[in-house]
Amino acid sequence: MTVERIYVFKRFERLWHWGQASLIIFMLITGFEVHGSYTLFGFGKAVDLHTIAAWSLIGLWVFAIFWHFTTGEWKQYIPTTDKVVAMIKFYSVGIFTNAPHPFKATTLKKHNPLQRLAYLGVLLFIGPLLWLTGWLYLFFSDWAAWGVDQYVSLEWVAFFHTAGAFMMLLFLIAHVYLTTAGHTPTSHIKAMITGWEEVD
Amino acid sequence: MLKVIGGFIAALVFVGFMAYNFMSSMMFWEIPSPFGVEETVARIQQNIQNAGNGWALAGLRNPAKAVENDGGNALPVMMVEACSTKYSGPILRDDTVRFLSILMPCKISIYKKNDGKTYIAGMNARLMGKMFGPLVGEVMGHVADDQAKFIIFDASQPAPPMIKGTPGAAGGAAAASGGGC
Amino acid sequence: MLSKLKIALSTLVAGATVAALTAFATPVPAPAQTATNVAPAAQAAMPAAAPDPAAMVKKASNSTADHSKFKELQKEFKSGPEVTKACLTCHTEAAKQIQKTKHWTFEFINPETQQKLGKKNVINNFCTAVESNQKFCNACHVGYGWENDKFDFTADENVDCVVCHESTGTYRKVPGLSGHPTYKDMEFPPHSGKIVKAPDLAKVAQSVGKTSRANCGSCHFYGGGGDAVKHGDLDSTLKDPPKYLDIHMEKKGLNFSCGTCHMTSAHQVPGSRYAPTAAGKKDAVAPHMRGKADDSNPTSCQSCHGTKPHSAKMAKLNEHTDKIACQTCHIPEFARGQATKMTWDWSTAGQLTPEGKPIVKKDSAGRNAYDSKKGDFTWEDHVIPEYIWFNGKVNYTLRETKLDPSKVVKINSFEGSPTDGKSLIWPVKVFRGQQPYDSVSNTLLVPHTFGADDTAYWSNFNWDKSLEAGMKAANVPYSGKYGFVKTEMSWPITHMVAPKADALTCAQCHSKEGRLKNVKGIYMPGRGDNNQLLDKAGWALALLTLIGVLIHGAGRIYAHRKG
Repeated sequence: MTVERIYVFKRFERLWHWGQASLIIFMLITGFEVHGSYTLFGFGKAVDLHTIAAWSLIGLWVFAIFWHFTTGEWKQYIPTTDKVVAMIKFYSVGIFTNAPHPFKATTLKKHNPLQRLAYLGVLLFIGPLLWLTGWLYLFFSDWAAWGVDQYVSLEWVAFFHTAGAFMMLLFLIAHVYLTTAGHTPTSHIKAMITGWEEVD
Repeated sequence: MLKVIGGFIAALVFVGFMAYNFMSSMMFWEIPSPFGVEETVARIQQNIQNAGNGWALAGLRNPAKAVENDGGNALPVMMVEACSTKYSGPILRDDTVRFLSILMPCKISIYKKNDGKTYIAGMNARLMGKMFGPLVGEVMGHVADDQAKFIIFDASQPAPPMIKGTPGAAGGAAAASGGGC
Repeated sequence: MLSKLKIALSTLVAGATVAALTAFATPVPAPAQTATNVAPAAQAAMPAAAPDPAAMVKKASNSTADHSKFKELQKEFKSGPEVTKACLTCHTEAAKQIQKTKHWTFEFINPETQQKLGKKNVINNFCTAVESNQKFCNACHVGYGWENDKFDFTADENVDCVVCHESTGTYRKVPGLSGHPTYKDMEFPPHSGKIVKAPDLAKVAQSVGKTSRANCGSCHFYGGGGDAVKHGDLDSTLKDPPKYLDIHMEKKGLNFSCGTCHMTSAHQVPGSRYAPTAAGKKDAVAPHMRGKADDSNPTSCQSCHGTKPHSAKMAKLNEHTDKIACQTCHIPEFARGQATKMTWDWSTAGQLTPEGKPIVKKDSAGRNAYDSKKGDFTWEDHVIPEYIWFNGKVNYTLRETKLDPSKVVKINSFEGSPTDGKSLIWPVKVFRGQQPYDSVSNTLLVPHTFGADDTAYWSNFNWDKSLEAGMKAANVPYSGKYGFVKTEMSWPITHMVAPKADALTCAQCHSKEGRLKNVKGIYMPGRGDNNQLLDKAGWALALLTLIGVLIHGAGRIYAHRKG
């Protein structure tokens, strides 16, 4: 079995990924403190840090969106039903029987169909949910000036923001685990660090 | 082999973490008081004076006052200081443990928290004592037994007056009359 | 908005790593940090500690008139009214101005509720009522001689000028003299062995000037029958308050008098507890300037500080000002100078020694805990306030108001709600007690407490006689049957503003057992207002996912080894 190496993740992409990952983990930590789940930094500090991280992430996203559209990489997230069943079969059966991975990453198609669906969900649903509710949260005292105070209440904004956070947490757990489900347990992680992925 | 060492290190980290977490609650105790700050102070003072074993009041400190004098605010804190020469004597006579005079006199702190309630805190004399050999261990054990009695209150008795200042041991100087340290 | 964008831009550059680094570089506050915080404060206080001797000697007044040089005042005065006559020779309109104020009429009609209030009308749960006890209570009337209903409210010489304007500190209106000072040395309180000296009225008259903290305090610090009894945020420690106690009134600091905020015009003092201003004017232009066309109440924090008082660095705090009164954070505790009375139970009054003598019992701090004349008390210092929604509207239980004796009677109830757009969360002192009520007509009673007659409670300890006399004087029918009902009275906390470093911190409210745990109708992050179902579902799913991936991983390892 020969090992082939392909260059899947470009420098900016890797920077974006790890920046986003650390910010999201940090925001989960500070966010659930603000939520009242535990005390770590202290409420006031947690709020400040959460806000700073939020603005940093927005900045990162501005760059990422720009990058995705100028490079055409956004096409990597176009959903496909092709091989979805095969992927599910692989994760539930094949992976235990040493069956071959049904998807072969290439530079043009670096995400398997399940990844595409999951990441698209994060980008189009969980992300916007958190952004929207987060902004409303942040600009709570401007609601009256914006004329939205009669349609939204902080209680529900907090509810959906928290719901989004839980979804992000679930994604994070599953995502971190599935990084070990590559060609070798560490090949995906190495790829995200070096850019080069080993494929069969 | 790697697993054994790994397990050992993990256990060590775990124990360290637990110790770090529980250290403060092992070294010190804190309980709520059924009375206000002044009445708690007064009742503890009365208990100390009735405790026997050479116990005497050594002073009453108000560290919150110092903060106020500097223009800041602090919720009320009062420290009842008590001493028994019966217990301090043996420790003060032994060169190897004389440095423990840093812990004298015995202090019980009474303070208000942001919930509006009064709390009593003290040092776990028994545990601390055990760290410094049999002599100190034994003495501090007795101290701990007596201290436990200082905070038993009889609410049916009327509130005694609080004793301000440092009876018999003004300025911390050795004063024979009060038996203060 | 702008400041937020600025923060956004600056942090954008810094990015994730910086955010993470700053977070971990500053450790979670440890006890040791308090020590370092104290040190700079101590240094800052040092230069101020040496008082300027020139300022001490120089008279505080910049007035163009030295009253000690006035011929009209250089004579022997035999009584208060004589002094007043002398004042009025120059200050021709002063008495007429006073006579329009509630300091004089003891009457106030709330323009919103139309309730007839004022000391003449309300019943409180301290000394309860003025009626029938005028000789005693009216020591705090700004006049001379109001001992019964025959008092002449139109006589100019009945106005007491000097109580508010003298600066010798020797002039004292002794309870029992209907508003007069004592004109010869007398023992007060009776049998106390303390002698109140008769003031030298000429000196008093010559000393007049602007009203000082001590002048206002001579009554307002002693409300409820003694120093610090009533308000909790007004007591004699404010005569010369240290910095920690009152950041505005510290002598070495801003040295505000009461009138700096209670900006008086034509003797009308603004800022009233009968019709308080809960939120200040939203569009008030700060600072509130004398002579400027703005009829809003100058006696509010907002009239000087505006509604966005915090620096851009603390912009989040400015977003709290439409929901939280300034006082809530900036007066973290009241009665920080000395203890205030918290409860008063009249029902236990009247215990006497076997010889029939009244008793006084002390608490651990040496304060009166029981007095045969008044019943049981409790006192507390550094009191954590209770917090309520308050929109400025207060309803009183008056003499004629029917009450439900099975419930705690709210002598005054503060209106407010989280949704009316006018209410802020306010700190209040709630004073609780038991006091006599008519158990047939279910109304509060007016006891006759003070007097040389045999019906006064403080002389004879007989409720039947005392209540009958009191109600007769008040001209209200009394069934003759009385009981004691539990009552509650609220006092907004607004004085004794602490230095800004001592304001409440975020977590003191944004936590599960925080200060605002009983404030309803608002979602507060960190207080445990979370949707419990979402929390449970969220954590359960996270745990299940974690277990799922662990099992999946274990399965892979197992399969890998086997195969």
